[in-house]
Amino acid sequence: MELNIYAYKCKRCGELHYPYKTICKKCGENDHNEFEIVPLPKNGKLLTFTTLYTLPSDYEVVTLALGIVELEDGNRITGQLDIKNPKIGMKVNGKVEVVRKDLYKKHLGMIFYKA
Amino acid sequence: MREVYVAGIGITSFSRLEYPLVEIAAYPGLMALRDAGLKKVDHLYVANMGGGRINGQTGLASAVVDHMSLTPAGAETIENGPASGASAIKQGYMAIASGMHDVVMVIGAERMREANPLEATDFVATLTHPQAEYIYGVTLPALAGMFTRLYMEKYGVTARHLAMVAVKNHKNAMDNFYAHLHEDITIEGILDSPEASTNNPYVADPLRFYDVCPVSDGGACLILATAEVMKKINKPMIRLAGIGQATDTHCVHERKDPTELLAVREAARQSFKMAGVKPSDVSVAELHDAFTILEIAESEEVGFFKKGEGHLALERGETQIGGKIPINPSGGLKAKGHPVGATGVGQAHEIVLQLRGEAGKRQVKNAKVGFTCNFGGFGNNVVCLTFIKE
Repeated sequence: MELNIYAYKCKRCGELHYPYKTICKKCGENDHNEFEIVPLPKNGKLLTFTTLYTLPSDYEVVTLALGIVELEDGNRITGQLDIKNPKIGMKVNGKVEVVRKDLYKKHLGMIFYKA
Repeated sequence: MREVYVAGIGITSFSRLEYPLVEIAAYPGLMALRDAGLKKVDHLYVANMGGGRINGQTGLASAVVDHMSLTPAGAETIENGPASGASAIKQGYMAIASGMHDVVMVIGAERMREANPLEATDFVATLTHPQAEYIYGVTLPALAGMFTRLYMEKYGVTARHLAMVAVKNHKNAMDNFYAHLHEDITIEGILDSPEASTNNPYVADPLRFYDVCPVSDGGACLILATAEVMKKINKPMIRLAGIGQATDTHCVHERKDPTELLAVREAARQSFKMAGVKPSDVSVAELHDAFTILEIAESEEVGFFKKGEGHLALERGETQIGGKIPINPSGGLKAKGHPVGATGVGQAHEIVLQLRGEAGKRQVKNAKVGFTCNFGGFGNNVVCLTFIKE
């Protein structure tokens, strides 16, 4: 089964929310049954990025590359990067993989690779 | 509504403090009472972000009001992330302006260095969106790094401009006894010399070590009072004239243009409007330079310079003491330090010193209107204050 990151689409006005919101930011719809869960696309272009050298707890690596990606439908997502020399504007595609492990749980999220 | 004035001020050193959080809050409170010549207050607001998590101390305001023997005055702890300080001042303002209280003590206090640096960074990172940012390892420096890269690309800001902010603020802090860092750094030492990469390694590329504020302990206090109380105590009439607050999306990636800090723009606009002044009337400002890029970006968003031109004004020396609009004469968060919950009160403390003419070697001449910008999260909750000397 292919893993996805899901966005929340307002059935009334079509506005897509990622992450989830209780009230539609465009039309004010507030019935949670009126939001449809739709997978976010995985291809996009890199909007900005950083390499982090001081890592939060739970990481046993030296550096961590993070970025904001503009997906092909125009929505944006923050994710990790597994790319050697990232450049603003480059095409990337994402996979849903483990992005953080703590004592109790593995957290899944989007990791982007060079397209 | 009644006018609100600053009756007394107090501060601790912003550094590593080896005494309990309650005392970090109480000592500046004591200094402010002495400064104002008052013995009692009607109400106490204590701004703090990490007491429960880092110091195992919840209900901080209740502990402080008793420690200072000010019971049965009312007391509340205010948590609004790194903007807690200015938020607490806002609560104090409302309590007096509304007629509910006549004398209110506002304290900001934080003791972050009790935790190890990893825990401290992780604690601040809990400000980010839990599912869409935090789980990826996103921290505040990470968000600032991504923001800086966009800013460099769009406006031509360079590592040299960032270093200029650090050098300026470190220089100002040399004259501030209470500042965390007394290190007179140079562009050569942190950027140009062969040792620069060792002195100044990357933290969140393109941000380096000297682009990021230190993790500090510290406390600061402002006592606010009515005009009637001020008549009795013979202190300079510094009026809290304008307050603005605005929010923005929790996730940075949801902002239409992630180089814009819309909450800063809106909070500053409200604050100036309420005070009846323009950005060009401001004689001295304390901006929230947790990262050097933020001083540049905020100086544009609050209206001192056009968008994309803050770094050019910095180059021309306009933000130095003696320049057109001196920014962060205290050393800013960069060098004075950033005890998160206390920072907003610390900024206001500096502005009151400046407006009173008590800032010593770092005094800005003829300061009449002072401004602070206290920035919570990565710009998702911002409180701006305007003070006027009467």
